[in-house]
Amino acid sequence: MARVYSVFARPLIQGDKRLAQVTEDVCRPMERRPGPWWWAAFTASSALLLLGMSAITYQIATGVGTWGLNTTVGWAFDITNFVFWIGIGHAGTLISAILYLFRQRWRTSVNRSAEAMTLFAVMCAGLFPVIHMGRPWLAYWIFPYPNTRGSLWINFRSPLAWDAFAISTYFIISALFWYVGLIPDLATIRDRGKPGFRQRLAALFSLGWDGSYRTWNRYEMAYLLLAGLATPLVVSVHTIVSWDFAVAVIPGWHATIFPPYFVAGAIFSGLAMVLTLMIIARKTMGLEDYITVRHIERLCKLIIATGGMVGLAYLTEFFMAQYSGNRYEQFVFLNRAMGPFAWAYWTMVSCNVLAPQLLWFRKIRTNLAVVFLLSLLINVGMWFERFVIIVTSLHRDYLPSSWAGYSPTVIEVATLLGSFGLFFTMFLLFCRVLPVIAMGEVKGVLSYGRKHGEGHP
Amino acid sequence: MPNAYWRSLKEREAEELQPPKSETVPTQGEIPSGPGRRGFLKAAGFSFASAWLAACSRAPEQKALPFLEEPEGIIPGKSYWYASTCAACPAACGLLVKTRDGRPIKLEGNPGHPLSQGGLCAVGQASILGLYDSRRLKGPVAAGKSATWEEVDRELGRKLEAVRGQGGAVRLLTGTVHSPTELAVIRRFLAQFKDGRHVQYDALSCSAILDAHERTFGVRVLPRYRFDQADVVVGFDADFLGTWISPVEFTAGYSSGRKPEFLRFCYHIQAESRMSLTGTKADRRIPVSPAGMASLMAEVAAAVEGGAAAGEAGEIAGRLLQAKGRSLVVCGSQDTALQMIANTINHALGNYGQTLDIVHPSRQRLGNDRELELLLRELEAGKVRVLLVAGANPVFELPGGEAVKRAEVVVSFSERPDETAEASHYVCPAPHALESWGDAEPAAGLVTIRQPAVRPLGGARPFVETLAAWTGRPQAAYELVRTTWREEIHPRQRGQADFETFWEQALQRGYAETGSSSPAARAFARPDLKRPAGAPDLELVLYPTPAMLDGRHAYNPWLHELPDPVTKVTWDNYVSLAPGAAARLGIADGDMVRVESGGRAMELPALLQPGQNERTIAVALGYGSLLSRRFADLGPNWIDRAPTVGETGLVGVNAAPWLRFTEGTLRFESAGVTVTKTGKRRPLACTQQHHTLSVPAHLAPSPREPRPIVQETTVARWNGERLRQQPLEPDRPELWPPDHTYGPHRWAMVVDLNACTGCSACVVACQVENNIPVVGRDEVVRKREMHWIRVDRYYSGPVENPQVAHQPMFCQQCEHAPCETVCPVLATVHSAEGLNQQVYNRCVGTRYCANNCPYKTRRFNWFAYARKDALANLVLNPDVTVRSRGVMEKCTFCVQRIQEAKIEAKRRGEPVQDGEILTACQQSCPAQAIYFGNLNQKGAKAAQMMTSARRYRVLEEINVRPSVGYLKIVRHESAAGGEKQHG
Repeated sequence: MARVYSVFARPLIQGDKRLAQVTEDVCRPMERRPGPWWWAAFTASSALLLLGMSAITYQIATGVGTWGLNTTVGWAFDITNFVFWIGIGHAGTLISAILYLFRQRWRTSVNRSAEAMTLFAVMCAGLFPVIHMGRPWLAYWIFPYPNTRGSLWINFRSPLAWDAFAISTYFIISALFWYVGLIPDLATIRDRGKPGFRQRLAALFSLGWDGSYRTWNRYEMAYLLLAGLATPLVVSVHTIVSWDFAVAVIPGWHATIFPPYFVAGAIFSGLAMVLTLMIIARKTMGLEDYITVRHIERLCKLIIATGGMVGLAYLTEFFMAQYSGNRYEQFVFLNRAMGPFAWAYWTMVSCNVLAPQLLWFRKIRTNLAVVFLLSLLINVGMWFERFVIIVTSLHRDYLPSSWAGYSPTVIEVATLLGSFGLFFTMFLLFCRVLPVIAMGEVKGVLSYGRKHGEGHP
Repeated sequence: MPNAYWRSLKEREAEELQPPKSETVPTQGEIPSGPGRRGFLKAAGFSFASAWLAACSRAPEQKALPFLEEPEGIIPGKSYWYASTCAACPAACGLLVKTRDGRPIKLEGNPGHPLSQGGLCAVGQASILGLYDSRRLKGPVAAGKSATWEEVDRELGRKLEAVRGQGGAVRLLTGTVHSPTELAVIRRFLAQFKDGRHVQYDALSCSAILDAHERTFGVRVLPRYRFDQADVVVGFDADFLGTWISPVEFTAGYSSGRKPEFLRFCYHIQAESRMSLTGTKADRRIPVSPAGMASLMAEVAAAVEGGAAAGEAGEIAGRLLQAKGRSLVVCGSQDTALQMIANTINHALGNYGQTLDIVHPSRQRLGNDRELELLLRELEAGKVRVLLVAGANPVFELPGGEAVKRAEVVVSFSERPDETAEASHYVCPAPHALESWGDAEPAAGLVTIRQPAVRPLGGARPFVETLAAWTGRPQAAYELVRTTWREEIHPRQRGQADFETFWEQALQRGYAETGSSSPAARAFARPDLKRPAGAPDLELVLYPTPAMLDGRHAYNPWLHELPDPVTKVTWDNYVSLAPGAAARLGIADGDMVRVESGGRAMELPALLQPGQNERTIAVALGYGSLLSRRFADLGPNWIDRAPTVGETGLVGVNAAPWLRFTEGTLRFESAGVTVTKTGKRRPLACTQQHHTLSVPAHLAPSPREPRPIVQETTVARWNGERLRQQPLEPDRPELWPPDHTYGPHRWAMVVDLNACTGCSACVVACQVENNIPVVGRDEVVRKREMHWIRVDRYYSGPVENPQVAHQPMFCQQCEHAPCETVCPVLATVHSAEGLNQQVYNRCVGTRYCANNCPYKTRRFNWFAYARKDALANLVLNPDVTVRSRGVMEKCTFCVQRIQEAKIEAKRRGEPVQDGEILTACQQSCPAQAIYFGNLNQKGAKAAQMMTSARRYRVLEEINVRPSVGYLKIVRHESAAGGEKQHG
């Protein structure tokens, strides 16, 4: 009979793996030829990417007029997509940095792919502020650099300028963090690999890793420091993104609740995306023993927490609008819930507030098909949240004479699909060429050689 | 510095007188000669660096060709202004033509002109584009082929010679001609023929007014209406502020009678079948069907003449009787009986001689529908040998206008290939009014000169020159005008004995006031006022819009894209229906409907018009012209575009075939029409989608109040607070020091909402001045029109008869501008003079500024708007940058004009005077509703208005501190009792 000391002591990795087995399991997908499913997914996502690239090329060649925007609604799909993708990225940093600092060791199975997801999501996000510009070829003007224009600086008061800093910082730190975490695993690849191009690359990037105690010690220290650096970013990036709206005078945007609301929403959506990807990856790559139902459950619990915060924020916004006595503010929220974009608002509420409530039930949390479906719903809901915030606030603001509607053009839809194409293409390539699970870290949480894990069901 | 010892008191005094010497700062005369080591190195470094930089790339090659022969008195790059006369409609307003480097680029009202008083309507403003129209006829056309003037003169000379010999009818069909020169030339031309006659008509006919005066006063004249003298104005279907006879003149007069600052407040009642621009300004508006108008007017007449009347007629009569001799009744009907009733009322009130002048009558409408009808019958019968058509487009404008083709020889003088030109054997194109000499006499005793501002761009020949050539006395237009003035005009005046002085003076001022010899009116003969018959079920009313009028400017994209002042629709005509009638018929906005009556039918989109009479449907004239064929390719070209023109390839549908001749006048109404839904839809390109200041009822937070965007007061309330002054800036505690400090200039604008009629002249004026592109119908449907100034129109009250407010809205030049803080690249910044500047070069197009603008007055260049027509590009104002794709733009308070005035003031060495800078919108405003000036200048008009108790700022509560103030509308009575906010 099993001796279970505590629930927390349950093994994080199932299947009573040996160290070599872990290496074998994780490296196997990289070393064999991709299967038909991979090819199918890759073809689909790169087709989407191609579609998106064509749309963007056409738009840049013709003008932003090829989007459905108008004088009143100056942002819609573009900035919605931007905030959506930035949000997706947040779970990666949360899992890799914050959970690391809190010694949540269950994170080890998912952190690598979550971080990769962060990087790819930030790439998708970074695309939109550039292409949404009327003259994207001048996008570099939003960086302060010494120039011959007398010297003309940027506007340090503009949240868009802060965005540029926030996003580039975020991307750099995330990339570094991800890379540092990869070093031991790259060394494993180097050591296992057949001589050739891939091995030479792995050797180059593993920076002469020798697995010695000193190397590990330095590595752990660097990783810890980077985690410390990355942690504030989880809060700061989306806070700054929220300022794009909170700093404005437009009712529905001008709200002090935005920073925490956006951060919670970002982590919420990021976790949902992690779930979406993990549930597929563990199945297709045979990693059920590493990404266990327990991992999924924990992520689900985090989703309940952050989803609750988001729901609270929705209510607070309504309360504050009513309480403010500001007629414009009050109208914006009534208009959200009952105006022409009510369908978008209620899609958002049902996906983000109602759907996650199912996760309170263990039965549902452990039913991966349902969790997968819910994670998709949350992704949809979070996209709509940004759409609702941006479009419903803009389309009917102060002067009724300039009220307008909005509907996207095919170019906009193709650009959104293209960003998903970019994301999944990158992720699929990542699954092929790099270890999706941090082998070095997972080995640290194996029950191998420990007594208390024996006989666990 | 060592101590300076002095040896004697004398030396000390001398020392003290001199400024202390410093070792580091050399004083005058002590500058070391030569650059010194550091200076040399700096200079060397700089020249090396610049030589190196200059060598890096080749500067783009630019060619600036100097004048081969510099014209005398012209400084390149400087604007010159010439007085002239507007020829866009027969109202003949006074013009100042701005020319730069030999080309006219802007038309403005002549401030000294006795009729128009400095204003200019949208059509007048836009007419300059006609000069640079590349599709104008460049030379004469004979039998569809281009010909030379010699050939045409020879051929037509032969044909006319034959007519002279054999006899036969020669008819000259024109619009209203009040030009003394043209009349003289026409007289001489027609005198050659045994049966030559000149027939004048107006597509927007006022023939009934002239006929009525012929019957009641024995003279066929159009009275000169003096709205400025009237304390009570009653309009019966007369859109005198929008389209009727002389809107600029009438608007100036009307608004001078409604200046709350001077305690003048004329009461205006408007009884009308549809919602006209004039109706939107009325203190009391009564929706009446055209058929009901007759009985209403008859009742008013009876009441005014001493009878009793109840209801609306009694109310009107009551108001009129309180202002005997100071009231004015105008009627836009083409029914002579109704016009005679109007005459009777005006006569009974003693208004003739006070507010109506028939001694010095207006000559702005001289058409005679009876003669026109006769001519059309003659043409039908094939009795006309030669028909000459000038300044008119009968095939397009008249029912049965195709009859012109029945003449043996048809000659058209159209500028463009219009319907009549296509039906003619010969087209002898006349030049644009800015290319030729001419004159006008819009009111008896007021003669104006039309002087050219540019040499003809094509091969057109002035109408008078052509006629003179065919009379056998070829003469240049200049000579013809001078001759007329020497022989006819000069003797009529008494001021100047010397003709040359008189001529020079008139040329400089643009007009001359002379005596007139109108036939004397006989005593009023009271007509029999017949009670009209009952009203039919559904009546169709044809009406002109302020932009399109009779369609003569249908080639002009600015006018097509100008939102209709009432409906805000562009690029189409439509069937307007009362919302109640539409509900009965199951018709919604944008449904295609079929209007049928007696075998005629037309299909148009429907528009629900609040305030329209339930038994009336209205369709605008002037659309569906061949001239609008050219817009097929207008607008940015991309995959999802929709064409600007309709299925017919034209903009709108021509409703002129529905005009009809009845009792000798051309009528705008047809009874007994049916309206059916076709099931198709065509959403209208409307620039405003929400029409009230109240939010939709189901979304309204409580308490449910309209937004205080447009504010109103009442006469009673205003009288109480008239003398109260309010401070320029509200006294608010501030945590922070002011963001901006201003120098001697702080530009500000005040818009008098009470004066504004919504006529939209400012919109076109701004478009011309600031090089604003035309975007086409599809882009307007997508709500991407580019106008920097828009006139918001809000309805309030019952949908059957709402109150209306117009509010010009443009960049408010906020002191705490939300747009400035959010631009990441500093492309929009605050100037030291309070302007919110937009730096096009720096803009990367994030549109954040536009999103954050509470007034939504910023405009984005979604596409590279076409500037391919090189000729049309000549109208561009060289002082204003043409914006490229992806760049934000907006109102700049005409910063180019501010700079021009400042430079001029600096040259003179004095400060800029108040009134020296007029923004384009302000200049064109016929109602003078816009004040612009320097807030930091004591006594500046704008600064004074800013302290008026009527002044408020839009969205003051969000503390963006706009530099634009609005003056509240003053209503005679308010629906709610006390001060009411509009909604």
